[in-house]
Amino acid sequence: MTRAVRMAVVVLVILVLLVVSGAFYTVQEGQQAILLQFGKVVGDPITDAGLHFKLPFIQNVRRFEKRLLIWDGDPEEIPTKGREFIKVDATARWRIVDPRKFLESVATEQGAQSRLDDIIDSAVRSQVSGNELVEVVRSASWVTPEPEVLQEIPAEREEELKKKISLGREEITRAIVAEAEKVVPQFGIKLIDVRIKRLNYVQSVREKVYSRMISERKRIAARFRSEGEGDSAEVLGNMEKELRQIRSTAYRRAQEVRGKADAEATKIYGNAFNKDPEFYTFSRTLEAYKEGQNKNSVLILTTDSDFYRYLKEAVPADKRPR
Amino acid sequence: MTAQGWDPRGGRPPVDLRDVFERFRGRFAGQRMPLGGIGGIVVLVLAVLLLWSSWFTVQPEETGVVQRFGKVVRTVGPGLHFKIPYGVETVLLVPTARVLKEEFGFRTAVPGRRTQYSPRDFLNESLMLTGDLNVIDVDWIVQYRIDDPVKFLFQVREPVDTIRDVSEAVMRRIVGNRLGSDVLTVGRETVQEEVKLEMQKILADYETGVRITAVKLQDVTPPDPVKPAFNEVNEARQDKERTINQAQEQANREIPKARGEAARTIAEAQGYGLERVNRAKGEANRFQAILAEYRKAPEVTRKRLYLEALTVILPEAKSLYIVDADQKALIPWLSLDSGLKPAPAEKQP
Repeated sequence: MTRAVRMAVVVLVILVLLVVSGAFYTVQEGQQAILLQFGKVVGDPITDAGLHFKLPFIQNVRRFEKRLLIWDGDPEEIPTKGREFIKVDATARWRIVDPRKFLESVATEQGAQSRLDDIIDSAVRSQVSGNELVEVVRSASWVTPEPEVLQEIPAEREEELKKKISLGREEITRAIVAEAEKVVPQFGIKLIDVRIKRLNYVQSVREKVYSRMISERKRIAARFRSEGEGDSAEVLGNMEKELRQIRSTAYRRAQEVRGKADAEATKIYGNAFNKDPEFYTFSRTLEAYKEGQNKNSVLILTTDSDFYRYLKEAVPADKRPR
Repeated sequence: MTAQGWDPRGGRPPVDLRDVFERFRGRFAGQRMPLGGIGGIVVLVLAVLLLWSSWFTVQPEETGVVQRFGKVVRTVGPGLHFKIPYGVETVLLVPTARVLKEEFGFRTAVPGRRTQYSPRDFLNESLMLTGDLNVIDVDWIVQYRIDDPVKFLFQVREPVDTIRDVSEAVMRRIVGNRLGSDVLTVGRETVQEEVKLEMQKILADYETGVRITAVKLQDVTPPDPVKPAFNEVNEARQDKERTINQAQEQANREIPKARGEAARTIAEAQGYGLERVNRAKGEANRFQAILAEYRKAPEVTRKRLYLEALTVILPEAKSLYIVDADQKALIPWLSLDSGLKPAPAEKQP
């Protein structure tokens, strides 16, 4: 072989390789692609992963994500219908469903994200500001708390807790999706869902809420304390009542027993002494004398007394012989 | 075993076929006709390299996903496996057997026996509104496993971020649908369960290939500025119990004592009654006995009793004056003051 022939073979091989390599392209799993011919889309999107053919040099490939993508907006301060300012951080899932439209309208993911920023932010804003805060926080399945739970809550807030939820968070996020859905299909995008990832009061409101929570707690604490005092007073009162009852019942019983005994004794004495009252008086009087109340006293007796009469005369006048 | 997040080990950038040809071309172009000793060595080296890049190992906790020209052709379990080299087939390794964990409201800095936590608190993540429009600070973790590595890799682009977003959104919805006091106390279990179920459902709708194994609430507290007030309520509740207990204790101490005293009072009265009746009977019997004898000789007995009594009385008197019955003028000159004392009260019979 001559040198020239060898060169020709090498060049030919290189050319063939170039053509062949330009005719193949791969689509990764999770990707989709479209073919552009001089900047114009040709054919249907290629959604199967693997090795594919195209016309070399003339057609080139644009690949797009087929997977689920995240949209994450910046937190936004939005007033609710009740004028409370809250910070809402929403997130959304979306995917590219029509690569051709996508390419023609937003071209890149960055472009799509910034369109979604506008669309979803405005939908979130309009839905949140059109609803009460409770609707955004609670869900439709909200059940009014049991009465015993409500006891822990100040009366003026009870109304709000009993409020029926007409939409609830799920319904509101669905409305956000519905609102955004009106616009996004023209970008070749499908919005899967929008979720409120974070929701909180703005700083100034949060401080007010904290001080409200503190005052609520303090009220509950005060109520517990006074309940404790009340209950203990009741216990002590009942105790006092019971004590008095016990003591007075005992006193009554004791008096009854004593009275009965006294009556019995009186009857016994009466029966006995009635047999000779005069002798009873006499003997009882003598007993009394003997019992000693005359101790240390000065007695003046006359000789008329039975005891001393014999001091004066041995034979009393009435016994003297005539 | 748990791991923080997920790192696609063994993941390689997708290889365009063009690059492969490019490489071949480079090798052949830079070489004269490949015959002879040096050429043989080169071929040998190439063959070894070829074999070397044809094998890959899958660790026990992993699953290998093999793609041929980007298309998933098979998944393989742990062990040594063959693939077509030169970028025709590529492998992604996914830790399917591991339980992975995401933390919310806190971060583990150094895991271990005494785990250290990042000192920052992630209030953005953990502060949320409750159904009674109060604010609560909830820390939680989500544990999950990759059930379907193919879906995990190719259905959602940022699966971990997706799990985090869904978890935060669902936790806030569930907590927002309950009273704060409920979440702080009895509602924990239910919240965990509801969040797990709802997350699982949403992630299944997204076809993430992820299975949530657990959602666990960690610290659930009132926000820091409010904590002291919450503690005060607990103290007050205990104060209440204590005050009531003290009163109850006093009642328990005093009532049995009063009952005992009452029984004693009654028993004493009964004793008094018995004594009183017995004495009466005794005295009555004595009187009747004496009376019976007295009736036999009233005059003499009477006198005898009288005189006996006086013999007892007279020696006890301080002084005794015996005055003639006819004497009239005694009293004026007799000094009586020393002898007169109030008589003692009459004793009970």
